Amino acid sequence: MQSLTDNALMLKVKSGDLDKLGLLYERHKKRLFGFFYNMNSNASVSEDLVQNVFVRMLKYKHTFTGDGTFTAWMFKTARNVNYDHYRKNKVAFHQKEVSEMEYKLQDSTDTEKGIIAKDKLSMLQQAMEYLAPEKREILVLSKLKEMKFSEIAEVLGCSEGNAKVKAHRALKDLRTVFLQLEKR
Amino acid sequence: MEKEQFEITMIEYLTGELTPEGRSDFEEYLNNYPEQKAEFDSLQQTWGKMDEAIVPETSEAMDVRFFDMLHTAETQNAKRSNSFVENLSSFLSLLWRPQVAYGILLVAIGLGTGYFMNTNRTEVDTPNTVVVNNETEEVREQLVLTLLDQPSANQRLQGVNEANKIGKVDEKVIKALLQTLNNDANVNVRLAAIEALVNYVDKPIVREGLIQAIGHQESPIVQVTLADLMVALQEKKSIEPFKELMRSKELDTSVKEKLESSIQQII
Repeated sequence: MQSLTDNALMLKVKSGDLDKLGLLYERHKKRLFGFFYNMNSNASVSEDLVQNVFVRMLKYKHTFTGDGTFTAWMFKTARNVNYDHYRKNKVAFHQKEVSEMEYKLQDSTDTEKGIIAKDKLSMLQQAMEYLAPEKREILVLSKLKEMKFSEIAEVLGCSEGNAKVKAHRALKDLRTVFLQLEKR
Repeated sequence: MEKEQFEITMIEYLTGELTPEGRSDFEEYLNNYPEQKAEFDSLQQTWGKMDEAIVPETSEAMDVRFFDMLHTAETQNAKRSNSFVENLSSFLSLLWRPQVAYGILLVAIGLGTGYFMNTNRTEVDTPNTVVVNNETEEVREQLVLTLLDQPSANQRLQGVNEANKIGKVDEKVIKALLQTLNNDANVNVRLAAIEALVNYVDKPIVREGLIQAIGHQESPIVQVTLADLMVALQEKKSIEPFKELMRSKELDTSVKEKLESSIQQII
């Protein structure tokens, strides 16, 4: 069974047995897609980004040492893919200003558009859009099942304690956004 | 509990990273601090709302694209690993192409012609070099003969040294050197002549001359040098001249002892 762990499979991919990446894809595609979708609320873009993560994992397979967990390595790659995607397309991570919220609501047409958009996007998705990308990212990562804070810290390149504090503060910010959205 | 520790513990509680004991400790703590309990409740609610996130299912197209990509990568990988064998075989097959074969043939002909022409030139050059060398040697021989005839011991020594530089000495020079060994007034010149003649001991005439010279020597140092040389050459013919020399009354005692031991060594 040891030969079927994520790390063992990725080491096999590294040594040239590329076929094993198929198994890793099946195991992790949903989590990766969830990560991207929660970050950008766009299914089609998220699918592209999942594909990019695996392309990059193949390209940089030699950097996988097997010291850390495969999940941490994969999400580190995912994070870079996400960052590069937005940089390349010059689409700023769209973080709406909370102050924008009230300003927009003053315009009736915008209100209508807002309602339509609200139908399409859940309350949570709307709230997430108002969060800074790094806060959105840590909340999404900490909500992922089977993802420990030690791994999140590895992905973000900070200490475990720091990652927990960041997560807590992001959660507080999300609560503030929820409260403001509810007031509307 | 400090603010930061409270934040960390709360997140650990929400994400389920706390141990059962840790959880009950934290709950007990919250019961004691109503303000922080309210904060916790509010954040737990927000945390709970995050579970409402609806993530759509991934499309089949994504799977198709991934496996296409993987298949392409695998094909490229297989090609790369076979590339060495392929390169080798393609290189060999390239050799069979007429253009390349003609090319190689032409290069071979060029190299062959160059080699033979070069060899011919060397053959033409060699006699010239030999002639030049011969001329130099002849001049040097003349120089040796002239110098050995000089009244100055210094010049005669120079003559003997010049003789050492000659590759192939002819009889004339050897006879001149032997004559110097037998008749020269200066001991140093005679010793130098012995050293020069040592280079040609493989010639019978030299050996013969050295044996005959034994009887002519009066200087103890030359006698001893000749005795050492005869021991080194294991020349049995030298025993009789040495014995004769020992019979002469003027011989130095130490030289006599030396000659005796030398005879013993030769026998």
